[in-house]
Amino acid sequence: MAEHYPTLLQSALAATALKVLLWPAYRSTDFDVHRNWLAITHSLPLKDWYYEKTSEWTLDYPPFFAYFEWTLSQAAQYADRAMLQVRNLEYHSWQTVHFQRATVIATELVLVYALSLFVQTSPAGSKKQAHASALSVLLSPGLLIIDHIHFQYNGFLYGILILSIVLARKKSGLLASGIVFAALLCLKHIYLYLAPAYFVYLLRAYCLGPRSVFDIKFGNCVKLGLGIATVAGLAFGPFIYYDQMPQVLSRLFPFSRGLCHAYWAPNVWAMYSFSDRVLIYAAPYLKLPVDAEAVNSVTRGLVGDTSFAILPNVSPRTTFILTLAAQIPALAKLFLAPTWDNFVATITLCGYASFLFGWHVHEKAILLVIIPFSLLALKDRRYLGAFRPLAVSGHVSLFPLLFTAMEFPIKVVYTITWLVVFLLAFDRLAPASEKARVFLLDRFSLLYIAVAIPLIAYCSLIHQLVFGAKFEFLPLMFISSYSAVGVVGSWLGFLVVFFTS
Amino acid sequence: MAPPTGPSHRPRRKPKPTTLSLNGTITTTTSTTTNNRQETPAFPLVAFFWPAKASNTSPWIILPSILLITFLFRWATSLWPYSGHAKPPLHGDFEAQRHWMELTINLPITHWYFHDLEWWGLDYPPLTAYHSWVVGQIGNLFNPDWFALYLSRGTDDIDLKVFMRASVVASEYLVYVPAAILCVRQLGKLHSINSWESAIALTAILLQPATILIDHGHFQYNTVMLGFMLATLASMLAGKLLWSSVFFVATLGFKQMALFYAPAVAAYLAGQCLFPRIDIPRFLGIAVVTLASFAVLFFPLLAGTALDTYRNIPLPADAKPPPLMAFLPENITPQTRYHPYLLQLTQSIHRIFPFARGLFEDKVANIWCTLHSTHIYKLSHLSSTNLSRAALALTLTALTPPCLLLLLKPTKPLLPYALATTAWAFFLCSYQVHEKNVLLPLLPMTLLLATDGGMKPAIRAWTGYANLLACWTMFPLLVRDGLRVPYFILTALWAWLMGLPPCGTSTLTTSAEDGGLSWVGKTIHVATYAGMVGWHVVEMAVAPPEGKPDLWVVANVGLGCAGFGVCYLWCLWRSVEVSGVLYDVGIWKRGVGGEKKKKKTQ
Repeated sequence: MAEHYPTLLQSALAATALKVLLWPAYRSTDFDVHRNWLAITHSLPLKDWYYEKTSEWTLDYPPFFAYFEWTLSQAAQYADRAMLQVRNLEYHSWQTVHFQRATVIATELVLVYALSLFVQTSPAGSKKQAHASALSVLLSPGLLIIDHIHFQYNGFLYGILILSIVLARKKSGLLASGIVFAALLCLKHIYLYLAPAYFVYLLRAYCLGPRSVFDIKFGNCVKLGLGIATVAGLAFGPFIYYDQMPQVLSRLFPFSRGLCHAYWAPNVWAMYSFSDRVLIYAAPYLKLPVDAEAVNSVTRGLVGDTSFAILPNVSPRTTFILTLAAQIPALAKLFLAPTWDNFVATITLCGYASFLFGWHVHEKAILLVIIPFSLLALKDRRYLGAFRPLAVSGHVSLFPLLFTAMEFPIKVVYTITWLVVFLLAFDRLAPASEKARVFLLDRFSLLYIAVAIPLIAYCSLIHQLVFGAKFEFLPLMFISSYSAVGVVGSWLGFLVVFFTS
Repeated sequence: MAPPTGPSHRPRRKPKPTTLSLNGTITTTTSTTTNNRQETPAFPLVAFFWPAKASNTSPWIILPSILLITFLFRWATSLWPYSGHAKPPLHGDFEAQRHWMELTINLPITHWYFHDLEWWGLDYPPLTAYHSWVVGQIGNLFNPDWFALYLSRGTDDIDLKVFMRASVVASEYLVYVPAAILCVRQLGKLHSINSWESAIALTAILLQPATILIDHGHFQYNTVMLGFMLATLASMLAGKLLWSSVFFVATLGFKQMALFYAPAVAAYLAGQCLFPRIDIPRFLGIAVVTLASFAVLFFPLLAGTALDTYRNIPLPADAKPPPLMAFLPENITPQTRYHPYLLQLTQSIHRIFPFARGLFEDKVANIWCTLHSTHIYKLSHLSSTNLSRAALALTLTALTPPCLLLLLKPTKPLLPYALATTAWAFFLCSYQVHEKNVLLPLLPMTLLLATDGGMKPAIRAWTGYANLLACWTMFPLLVRDGLRVPYFILTALWAWLMGLPPCGTSTLTTSAEDGGLSWVGKTIHVATYAGMVGWHVVEMAVAPPEGKPDLWVVANVGLGCAGFGVCYLWCLWRSVEVSGVLYDVGIWKRGVGGEKKKKKTQ
């Protein structure tokens, strides 16, 4: 078998060198969040885990992630015991930093393994394309920015997601895929957003017969049900035993948070908020009622309730209904044609729907769209056309996560390099589509990408030179709105491609 | 980068057939069962260029990508601490450079070389001073506190670090990087190497760990000086000798350590004027351009002196006339009209060449330090005059053979070898050597990767050997700066990319017939790498014995010196081979040539 160069392992090694060099870089409060979880799981009995609140960063991930932190803490005690004390808030000795950063790199091996499996299981004709997609995920600027600078464990978690997606490729792997996904949900519940796609696919392809939906395969249903129940039992069993489920769930689903995160993720609500802001200025002319209290709060509240001055307020229920409504067409198509490609496309569309319409969406959640989409981007040129604006906007929208001068060149140069190398490589590798392209999506994406350059220059440099520290929300709002256009544009493009193919 | 538009579902350009590689980047294996020829990358760095080879990617994509990626590694290294970070009272090289910016932008030019020597007095040639002035002026726009006179000493502001780090990168991308590109391109032309392989060599050169660690970790502006040297070399390779003299004056004018190269540069230029026939106009041209360049170099200093004299600005109160003034004719008195200019010139020379300093600084892997610190011979028995004479004599002896070769056979392929040999001679034998000066011999030696057969196991092995050994000898310095992790990461990365021990074995497993090392070379390499790895293990695990706190450092110096000696001998032998004198004197027969057995070293 001919190898494709550079191999995944080679790329992972070179990237690791860069990631280790980034150890002293800026780290967000998420670093202390995870340190605190190491401390909680290490020094407290299990029944106190979800009650402990010395730090404001309480444990709000599902139990498997807590077990994961407990496992890491077993090694952490040899690096520096002091990081394992709950009272040591914001503790960051260099041993602590190096240890926690190293665990991010080490656990990312799951992603390397999952991607290599993805390439291996690809059909012979598209191995080259699969290899390029795998490299693009492995070297993703999103993971570099979020995991290796900002600090989180997404490489590990998305590794498990990809593993589960790849397992679903073969009939024999469907059960394992479902169980792995259940385990993933017990690690981080944000993946619930993708669960509808799994539900429909496993139902149609595993629990029902291939010819008729009335041919129910009871054996498979029992196996899958037992598997998922076992996983859930392992995760939540102890907390059910201690009768703590309401407390655990209230930690996992804090609905008291606002519609928009502190910084607007580039979704529909960012556009909604932006319109509201604009309408404040237009209101006197249009004779619209203005909620004076809301005028000063929309962009400021850290994790407070967002209220709108002119437009009607949005309830969590509305966002939930919209999200589901946006997912249903894709789910219906998947139910009718349960192929693996449709499955991945539906996962992507579920990611899109929840990112665009969800409640309190983090900008980091864009990976929920980019990573599954990457696996499909090289299917043919039409998919690539929809992928391009997403690749640009999704990564640009992550820029505000890092705001320190020292990290600025890293995030910009790394992202530009990635875009140049991979978009060009993809362009060369993507096979021609069987159907003619409907949209002038290429033109749109070219214009869109061209706008990114002056925008980044303005937001990072010119704004500061012109206004100093004033209007600091302006650059954020521009980046957010710009990225929202890109994400929505690529979503529409992808919808067209998906439903016409 | 804009993606192409239009009906692009077929390749826009027919791929050209790739030229058959001769430079050692590709290993071809023939499968015994299917009889299919299969090409694989010879070392991991090549693998990263594999997609570009198959699709004939335009150099307009490859080159920017290389520059962006090498930038990332530089900038990531500069996140780490610099020399003297938060280390009062004197701080380190970072403070020295910052202080020069402080003094050049705040003081009249006549004070630059007279200002307080004790707190990092300016002791580099004028081009460094001008460079400091430019960087200082720009920094002053951002935050005047960074360079406030006297008040800013020892500043450890986080934003200042960003600015200073950025100034190193900017200077490097303005001087070193373009010069390296040109130089690699000229070497490629000279040895007919395809652009794909040249790009690989360029990446290897730009990722050289020693340079990144010293400039972007420890903090210095060596790459500016090295960049001018690359420009000198590129001009020589392009046959533009006048430009090469201009650039070499700039090299010297930035850092006096460039004298390491001077004899070889002079020998080449002289040789070009003498052979094949004596060329007086060329000689006059070079002489005039060199003098004119020196005049331009010192012009701002002298013009500033004229202005200060006109405005009657006195010298600092503690200014003493430099000893050199004593050698001037007696009729020059402070009243003489050109006295202030002579004073500035002699003072700058006095500062740049402080003969009063010791033979070597700190612990450096050269002959003198090794003799001294390993107690083979205590140099304190000798007077400093005798020592200086011994050093001078030894240096001259060591640099004569390569320079003589270059003078008699001034050919382009010989240049990198002769430059490397001369620089090694200086590094090993001369006085006032820093461990960081090893960057000078490393530069021409690393360039060998871009020459004919440069990435075949033998040359790659020796280039890598010198580079990794050099990083290793700087380890004690880097640890003091808090750069232990970047040291391990960057050296291991480079060793792995180039397929070198301890991260790869491709250089050791190739037989001498296939362009690998001879058994002597292999023995030396295995022994040295084993020594280096072993040393790291011991240094990490075992504390040095009581009463000998420097034992590990001394061991480092000893092995380093021996290894560098081997590098000197190898470069010298290669110079002899490449120059072709062995044909001329009849030891080799024409047409036989090829891989001769390497001369026994040590």
